[in-house]
Amino acid sequence: MIKITNLEKFYRTEEVETIALNKLTMEVNTGEFVAIMGPSGCGKSTLLNILGMLDDPDEGSYMFNGIEIAHFNERKRADLRKHNIGFVFQSFNLIDELTVFENVELPLIYTGVSSADRVKRVEEVLDKMQIMHRRNHYPQQLSGGQQQRVAIARAVVNKPKLILADEPTGNLDSSNGNDVMELLTDLNEQGTTIIMVTHSEHDARYSHRIIRLLDGQTVMENIMV
Amino acid sequence: MIRNYLKTAWRNIVNNKFYATINVAGLTVGLVVGIFMLLWVQDELSFDKANTNADKIYKVGIVGGTGISKQIFNNIIAPVATFAKSEVPEVKDAVRIMALGDAPFKYKDKVFIEPDFAFVDPSYFTVFDFPLIKGDKRHPFQDNSSVVITASTAKKYFGDEDPIGKVVMMGQDQQAKVTGVIADYPANSSFKYHIMMPTSMYNYQGYVKNKRTYDNKSFVSSMDGDWSQFGFQTYLLLKSDVNMAALEKKLQAIHERNKPEDAPVPYLTQPLLQMHLYKADGTDGGFSTVRTFGIVALMILIIACINYVNLSTARSMLRAKEVSMRKIIGADKFQLFMQFMVETAFLFVISAVFAFVLMFVLLPYFNQFSGKQITFSLTNYNIWLCIVATLLGTLAASSIYPAILLSSFEPLKALKGKVTVGIGNVAFRRILVVTQFAVSIVLIIGTLVIGNQLKFIRNKNLGYDKENIISVSMRQDMKDHFEVVKNELLKNPGVLAITRAGRNIVTDGSSTGDSDWDGKPANSNMWFNQIYADKDLIPFFKMKITEGSNFKGVVADSAHFLINETAVKEMGLKDPVGKRLRVQTITGTIIGVVKDFHFNTIHKKIEPAVFQYNPNYCWNLYIKTTGKDAQKAIASTQGLWKQYNNDVPFTYAFLDETYAKLYTTEQKQGSLFNLFSAIAIVISCLGLFGLATYSAQVKTREIGIRKVLGASVGKIIALLASEFMVLIIIAIVIAMPLAWFAMQGWLQDFAYKINITWGVFIIASVGATLIALATISIQSIKAALANPVKSLKNE
Ligand SMILES: Nc1ncnc2c1ncn2[C@@H]1O[C@H](COP(=O)(O)OP(=O)(O)OP(=O)(O)O)[C@@H](O)[C@H]1O
Ligand SMILES: [Mg+2]
Repeated sequence: MIKITNLEKFYRTEEVETIALNKLTMEVNTGEFVAIMGPSGCGKSTLLNILGMLDDPDEGSYMFNGIEIAHFNERKRADLRKHNIGFVFQSFNLIDELTVFENVELPLIYTGVSSADRVKRVEEVLDKMQIMHRRNHYPQQLSGGQQQRVAIARAVVNKPKLILADEPTGNLDSSNGNDVMELLTDLNEQGTTIIMVTHSEHDARYSHRIIRLLDGQTVMENIMV
Repeated sequence: MIRNYLKTAWRNIVNNKFYATINVAGLTVGLVVGIFMLLWVQDELSFDKANTNADKIYKVGIVGGTGISKQIFNNIIAPVATFAKSEVPEVKDAVRIMALGDAPFKYKDKVFIEPDFAFVDPSYFTVFDFPLIKGDKRHPFQDNSSVVITASTAKKYFGDEDPIGKVVMMGQDQQAKVTGVIADYPANSSFKYHIMMPTSMYNYQGYVKNKRTYDNKSFVSSMDGDWSQFGFQTYLLLKSDVNMAALEKKLQAIHERNKPEDAPVPYLTQPLLQMHLYKADGTDGGFSTVRTFGIVALMILIIACINYVNLSTARSMLRAKEVSMRKIIGADKFQLFMQFMVETAFLFVISAVFAFVLMFVLLPYFNQFSGKQITFSLTNYNIWLCIVATLLGTLAASSIYPAILLSSFEPLKALKGKVTVGIGNVAFRRILVVTQFAVSIVLIIGTLVIGNQLKFIRNKNLGYDKENIISVSMRQDMKDHFEVVKNELLKNPGVLAITRAGRNIVTDGSSTGDSDWDGKPANSNMWFNQIYADKDLIPFFKMKITEGSNFKGVVADSAHFLINETAVKEMGLKDPVGKRLRVQTITGTIIGVVKDFHFNTIHKKIEPAVFQYNPNYCWNLYIKTTGKDAQKAIASTQGLWKQYNNDVPFTYAFLDETYAKLYTTEQKQGSLFNLFSAIAIVISCLGLFGLATYSAQVKTREIGIRKVLGASVGKIIALLASEFMVLIIIAIVIAMPLAWFAMQGWLQDFAYKINITWGVFIIASVGATLIALATISIQSIKAALANPVKSLKNE
């Protein structure tokens, strides 16, 4: 599904140039559950953002489903993104002005799903995430674990082929964290490819494969058994 | 989709009541004022447009006089229209109007003085769109004693009865039968004649019944043969594509052929559509005021839009996270753009609703204030066009930039809180604040300059005394018994002096170019303002004789002239006293020179004037009172009036009020400008208040840290306020030259005017600064006094 080769990303400020990704090469197949690990500042989020087409690489190739997208413009990337990728963040990033239901509904609105279909599909995922009873609450009224479940619901409601999760359990206690990991595992078993950044070896164990980064380069790959 | 946008918009308003209130308040006030002003402008620009032939109708004028006395006569001689119609192929039709004004009409026991009485050609009803709604359209007048009236006049005289065939009395003995009724004139018509008789009647009265001896050389038997009496407004209906210069030449040729001694007498035409806002020679006659108001209206709307743009872009920083998430979830730029457009539109609809309610409530006051008759009737297409255009324009101006800005956030950076648009954006906001204050300061300076000029007008030494003087326009009987009236009135202890004159001293009157004097230069075509007087006029008005002497009140005075200093200069005389002078049919001697005085508005330079001793032409009675006894004097004048002119209601005026009325336009402009600048500054301060609040919010953390580090409250206020004060100072610097130019232009219209002094700029600058400072301080003080521990926790 994903194949990147010699990917490079620099950040230039007035005084320094940071190499966030340094000739990074990796591959992720459809249906895989991959964890990315590494020390703080090694470039995990940068990589995830490029994979998620939120950012573009400076050098190298990024093939997504066999299409070279490294040089796609913003509009094309956005289009590809909204039909294929769901995001889950450490800090949930729900929209405060919208209720649980509306937050989850939003991606469907943007892809132009009809109103009747939207209700059905949102209710379906809310049910699955066991958050249905909170559908009319606002994010501030929910616990962290509940918010993350809503965020996951929002990420999957459009049935994306790929879910990118950046430290999804980072702000949660271990019990809520485990719930979230179970949810991701379920999704993966139903066929969704998952790439997750994490600092937790415990969480990484849910995945099939761990890619370890250091200074923007792959240093090791562990295959889980 | 739209439902979702609206929902978010609504929640945004509810969650940010403070900003929403400031925005709605600013927009509402801006819309109300802006729309009212634009309606006024639109009304001014629409004058006479309702006429189908409007673009083919021209008014004819004559250029008379040379030097300072050069002027344009809008009322010309009667035969030009007749000749033009028969001889000039470009002319399809012609209309003459002889407006005499103040004609007394009587029906049964009702008596009215009709200021809007005129003799008109029958073509008046077809050349202009004033068709008869009752009566015979083809023959508005059946004979000389027919009269056509407007619907409201019919109502006034006859109530609900059918007006056709009713007979009213004009003056003492002239019967007039109503043969036609026209609809009331629209408010934006330059023509307002409510009672009209045919010009043939004027001809009969003035030339057939009473032979006119005005033209010295021969008796004139019809008005079409009278090449001397300038009294007819003349309008020509032309064919398409007429060469106006050639037409003017043809008219001039007609005149000069028939009255060679007038040559050269250049003719002038003015399009009907320019009549309302331009003078006959094409110079400004109100258009610049309309333009100024239009510009000010736009400025006020812009200030209101700026508020919105400023506040919403400032707040956009706080919304960066939301926008990024929407993008990441799949919103494309256009969808986000639409969302913000809808949000603005939503706020706009709320403001517009408030604005409509306010306008509806304020409309009567606006009409009273502006002298307009605007109604929000559904059929008035132009008004709605104006309102809708304003709303859409304002909406576009305030929505597009914030929508573009917000929708083009880069999602990643915004999510991390590193909104780089911040910096450029702040500069942009600063420009907007500077613009707002620059406009406000220009308006304040404008207000001050207008105020000063008005004070200057009020206090100007006119060269004559106008205090505590009552003027009464006498009718025949009273005029013929002037001596008796005078003696009666003087018995009144409150009456100090009595005199009479041929014209109202403070305004325009008749003038003539028909004159000759010893040593008159060959090329001189100087015109005299004629002032008929008796011997008391000069002392009565405390005018000064600088040379020679006043009239003595003897028969020989009818061949004596007094002239003013300007006349002496213009005539090129060295020792005027004793020189021969002919004015029209009177040849006599100059016996004295009167010190210049303003017998006109001070828009005009003092023109040459001649005083002629002719009590018979003195229709104006002047009564000088002690002031406190004015009412008694009026009462006894009224008693005398009844004795002589009982058929006509008694009217009088105070001379100083008549003078003040000359400047009502300026007075209105003055009070309007007061209002505008107040509103501009209020809206600007609303915006500034919002920005200061935002700035304090954003800096809460910084302030907290500084306080922990030991900064004093004063220092923190200075920190917050200085950011804005710099902007105000820049605004002042920009505003001053702009205001200077604008007001210099306004003053141009006065022959006698004030100089714009530094004082005005200083007052305006200090005023604006203080108001702005007060506005900012409220927020800054609050922020500075806040407990640092709390604000640090907040982050
Ligand atoms: N916008 C930016 N401008 C400059 N440098 C940046 C920017 N974003 C990231 N970097 C730098 O790039 C490098 C990689 O950052 P990245 O956020 O990918 O690290 P990370 O592995 O996700 O770290 P963490 O585990 O702390 O989240 C870091 O050195 C960081 O300082
Ligand atoms: Mg990271």
